[in-house]
Amino acid sequence: MSFLIRTIDFTAAGREITRDRTLDQTEVSIGRASENDIHLPDLAVEQRHVRLSDAGGGMLAIESVGGLGFGIDGRTETSVEIDPNVGAELSLGSSRLAISRDGDGPVEIVIKQAEKDEGAGDALQNFALASALPSKRLMAWASAALIVVLLLSVPIFTHLTREPVENDPENLAQGQVLFDATWSAGELSLAHHELEGNCEACHATPFVSVQDETCLTCHEELGEHAEMPRLAEGMAPLSTGDSIQWQIAETLGKEGPLGCVSCHSEHEGPVKLEAATEQFCSDCHDELDARLSKPSFGNAADFGKKHPQFRPQFYTAHFDEEPTRVSLDQDVSEMSGLIFPHDIHMSDNGGVARMAMSIGKYGAPLECSNCHEEDEDGVGFAPIEMEPACESCHSLVFDRNGPNFRSLRHGDVDDLMADLATMDRGPSRAVASGRNRPGQFARGGAYYTNFGRPMSAYIAINRALEPTGVCGECHIPTSTNGRRDLTPVNLPDRFLLGGYFDHAAHGDDVAECADCHAADTSDAATDLLIPDLESCRDCHLGETAVQTEEITPSGCAMCHGYHTPTMPWRPEDHPSNDGNDSVAAILSSLRR
Amino acid sequence: MATTPKNRFSQDERRRNADHVSFLKHKRFRWLWIALVLCIVSGLGYVMIDQEPRPNGGSWYGYTLGTIGLGLIVWLSLLGIRKRKMTTGQWSLKAWTSAHVYLGLALIVVGTLHTGFQIGWNVHTLAYVLMLIVIITGIYGVIVYATLPSTLSSNRKELTRAQMLEALTALDRQLESAAQPLDRDKSDLVISALEQNVFYGGALARLTGAYPGCATKRALASLPEHNTADGAEERVRSLLAKRSDQLAQIRRHLRIRALLEIWLFIHIPATIALLAALLAHVVSVFYYW
Repeated sequence: MSFLIRTIDFTAAGREITRDRTLDQTEVSIGRASENDIHLPDLAVEQRHVRLSDAGGGMLAIESVGGLGFGIDGRTETSVEIDPNVGAELSLGSSRLAISRDGDGPVEIVIKQAEKDEGAGDALQNFALASALPSKRLMAWASAALIVVLLLSVPIFTHLTREPVENDPENLAQGQVLFDATWSAGELSLAHHELEGNCEACHATPFVSVQDETCLTCHEELGEHAEMPRLAEGMAPLSTGDSIQWQIAETLGKEGPLGCVSCHSEHEGPVKLEAATEQFCSDCHDELDARLSKPSFGNAADFGKKHPQFRPQFYTAHFDEEPTRVSLDQDVSEMSGLIFPHDIHMSDNGGVARMAMSIGKYGAPLECSNCHEEDEDGVGFAPIEMEPACESCHSLVFDRNGPNFRSLRHGDVDDLMADLATMDRGPSRAVASGRNRPGQFARGGAYYTNFGRPMSAYIAINRALEPTGVCGECHIPTSTNGRRDLTPVNLPDRFLLGGYFDHAAHGDDVAECADCHAADTSDAATDLLIPDLESCRDCHLGETAVQTEEITPSGCAMCHGYHTPTMPWRPEDHPSNDGNDSVAAILSSLRR
Repeated sequence: MATTPKNRFSQDERRRNADHVSFLKHKRFRWLWIALVLCIVSGLGYVMIDQEPRPNGGSWYGYTLGTIGLGLIVWLSLLGIRKRKMTTGQWSLKAWTSAHVYLGLALIVVGTLHTGFQIGWNVHTLAYVLMLIVIITGIYGVIVYATLPSTLSSNRKELTRAQMLEALTALDRQLESAAQPLDRDKSDLVISALEQNVFYGGALARLTGAYPGCATKRALASLPEHNTADGAEERVRSLLAKRSDQLAQIRRHLRIRALLEIWLFIHIPATIALLAALLAHVVSVFYYW
């Protein structure tokens, strides 16, 4: 094995000087001592540092002589075997000895001085992931700044600099505050859905909780549950925990347990306002008389167990100006000023039924709905009007003038007298002419009859205001200042004031009218046909009752409203009654 | 001081414990127990206390959990400051780190209960999600710190980072001279391999260990295998193969380092973003009260 030693040096001017020499021997020694085959004048190198020798099979053995290691291809070793045909780089001190061989030629050792400072220290920095990513500090500050600016500063700035506008339920325009939708903790209830983009409509003042005053800008017509301070006096005492909470909350500006938002919590999703639970009502109403002096109603806690008897309002005496509320526990009789036996009218047979069957408008025995029409809200009934309801049978025709019939005007005694006064003028004939049997129609199809005594209809009409007269069929004659008159009809608009009865919910499949209203057995108008508490309890018991086929557990809210006792609060002009927006609300609830 | 051997042993044992017990096992899992108690108490309170109309961050219990959560988050983020000031004893950095890990985990329960499970596209949920990101990256960090360092040292094979680079430069010098006889296109391949930065490739390449644009690999693929006819080319090829092996070791090292460090690049910025989101969350809640 022979070695070709090539030393490369540089002159001061940078010119390269190459010296070659060939050693024809099997071993080469390297060290600082001058007797070495390769002499490296470097203090970092041992006197006799490394020996290169033929390891057979074309391999070259490199061994440390003094035990101190050497660098080979970057690693530190004390003994290695290398293939010179592949090559290796031996490093000793500041010298780099590149070892190579071309085929079977001599082993070539090229000696160079290492270049100073290869920037290894800096390069080590590259091992950290930080060298391949933006700095943590930059990312942290950038994202924090983005959040503080967009999600905090912009909404606050635009809220403080907005032009305040009066809330207007007709125009719930978009709010002026930017990006505050990101502050919304949840969607608004269906009723308030239109306000979704207008936070400042409710959140008017910074760091001040939503005030009742703001709610009332739209809900001004909403009734108080009771007047203050009576409402507060009637309220059940708070538990210690609640009272501490409210003390804290009120210190921080909340309006207390009777403020709007203490019950109407918002941002709970697009839901309908939930009806209050029985417990919510009974908290105060269970022992209300203990806290309130002279409450106008009894305690209530559970419809099945603790609920006062109904006290409908109606007229207890003729000529009363106002209706009176009377408990159904008392013996009641209603003085409506009318004579109206329900039983005769509702009977499936008999004269009334026959007559109704023969009139095209009915064609069958009378039903309740022939006279009583439900209101649109399904709660009350429209007032009965004489002309469509009664006059179909109880005709007031009194005269015939050619092809025209003349009817007495209904509703005002003076009009009636005037009509009667015209009777004798002009040609007239007996209205009953040509008639043979009762029950037949006269010419022209109008039916008129004599329900009174067997005397001429003419005379009956002439004597209309007398007890036996045509008016007396339904009205109670009286006299005012010596003149004949009729007792005024006194029917209340509503009987039940403290709650509402949803007739629509008791439709045909649930009950017939007569199941609750004993009209078919009532033979006088003085019978008050309002069902009592007991009859409701046949089906309705309190909220905690067990549901069966007959029993419906019924909370207070089934019949009572908190703000509007007589009906569910549902103003016609409420914004969310608009078609489009309810669709949007339904869609958003579906999405959830 | 006169001490019996037994006392000496227990004294040493204490010192050894203080010095060598993992922060996870610190003081027999003291902070794990504290965190568990916090979770259980929060959970029981959530279940037992009747919140009207439904559990939510705005109920009194919600505010309580929120205050605890806020305090925890601020304190946990102070580890960044605390770790730069080394002390020992009751509030040693190890105790602090142990509490940081376990209380951070407890925050999952406290924070989630504070939301009342009401999630939406808003600043409040942003804070919650950032909190979860911070906690999840933290869990990842604990796991990789426990498992990866041994892989890192087994990959090094007694080489320092500097030696790995030095080995590569040594190979590069040999390549430079070995490639002299090669023709133009093959020399260009070698040049491109030599010119490419050792640390070529972004964070993704480091994390996955995939370097599709590696010039050494390309050069190696372009030189036919076992071309014994041309000695110079064969030499360059084997040097390139060595270079490729050396690069692979460096890249394995980079990959393990990246896996070890990546969580901090999310954990820290997300923490600062979380603090900003918390500020926005708390201020907005009371601004629009």
